[in-house]
Amino acid sequence: MSKRTMTLNLTEAEMNALEELCAKKDLSKTGVLRQALRLYQLIEVRVEKGDKLFFEDDATKEKAEVMML
Amino acid sequence: MKVDITPIALLNGETGQAENAELWDAITEQQLSDWEGEWLPELFKSIQKLKRAGVERQHWPQSRHWDWRRKTKSLLGMLAHQGFSIVCDGVTQGMMIVDTTTKRCRLKEQKGKNLVYVSYVENAPWNRKELFDGSIRYRSVGSILIRAAIELSKKEEYKGRIGLHSLPQANGFYANVCGMTDLGADPDPDYAPMRYFEMNEEQAEAFIEKGLKP
Repeated sequence: MSKRTMTLNLTEAEMNALEELCAKKDLSKTGVLRQALRLYQLIEVRVEKGDKLFFEDDATKEKAEVMML
Repeated sequence: MKVDITPIALLNGETGQAENAELWDAITEQQLSDWEGEWLPELFKSIQKLKRAGVERQHWPQSRHWDWRRKTKSLLGMLAHQGFSIVCDGVTQGMMIVDTTTKRCRLKEQKGKNLVYVSYVENAPWNRKELFDGSIRYRSVGSILIRAAIELSKKEEYKGRIGLHSLPQANGFYANVCGMTDLGADPDPDYAPMRYFEMNEEQAEAFIEKGLKP
């Protein structure tokens, strides 16, 4: 599969967050951003369909909706 | 749709000879047409034979309700999901859909890490010995698809980690042939009665090594 390259400009805080995720996930920056894009696309499609995004506390089963604007 | 095709070989169970085949990194209209026009008629005939032979319903193929057209339509437009298929003798011999994004590892040593999750994998009915009185047209279709999931996992920087929920009839294959760890029945009722299996980096290497042996 052919790949395309882009330059990404990030603030220092954004770059720090990206590097933290890379370390935590044991992934390269490309790997983390690819993951983020896939997840973002998935959420966008579901939200556009009218679905809601929730986080559920595993212990209490309490749900909190993530507001997607 | 651009499809990457990798040449592979399948062992013909009837002649004992290896035959040229192809691994596609997609499920296309050709596969869905094979599923509707070739797989389903054979599957229904097999189910009829099982019923007439008095085989209990629980022993009928557990994937018989899978609708590959619907699954493909709902999942494959998304970057998070990818399809694979195997074509031999001009006909689709197996299909698989994987999720590279939304699932995480459960095994203690890799808990929380990303993995390739095999959402659905199925062999053509004539390659399943339980449906065709022990005869199999092509062997190794399931193993090659699992190998494809491992290779994708490596490409995604997940080091070969894969996971899946197994239909009861396939538990032995994932535990014994693939060497995956059985983490037991999933507590989530949505997955009942399936067990969850996971493969770590070492198990992935062992599986590949085993496949390379003559």
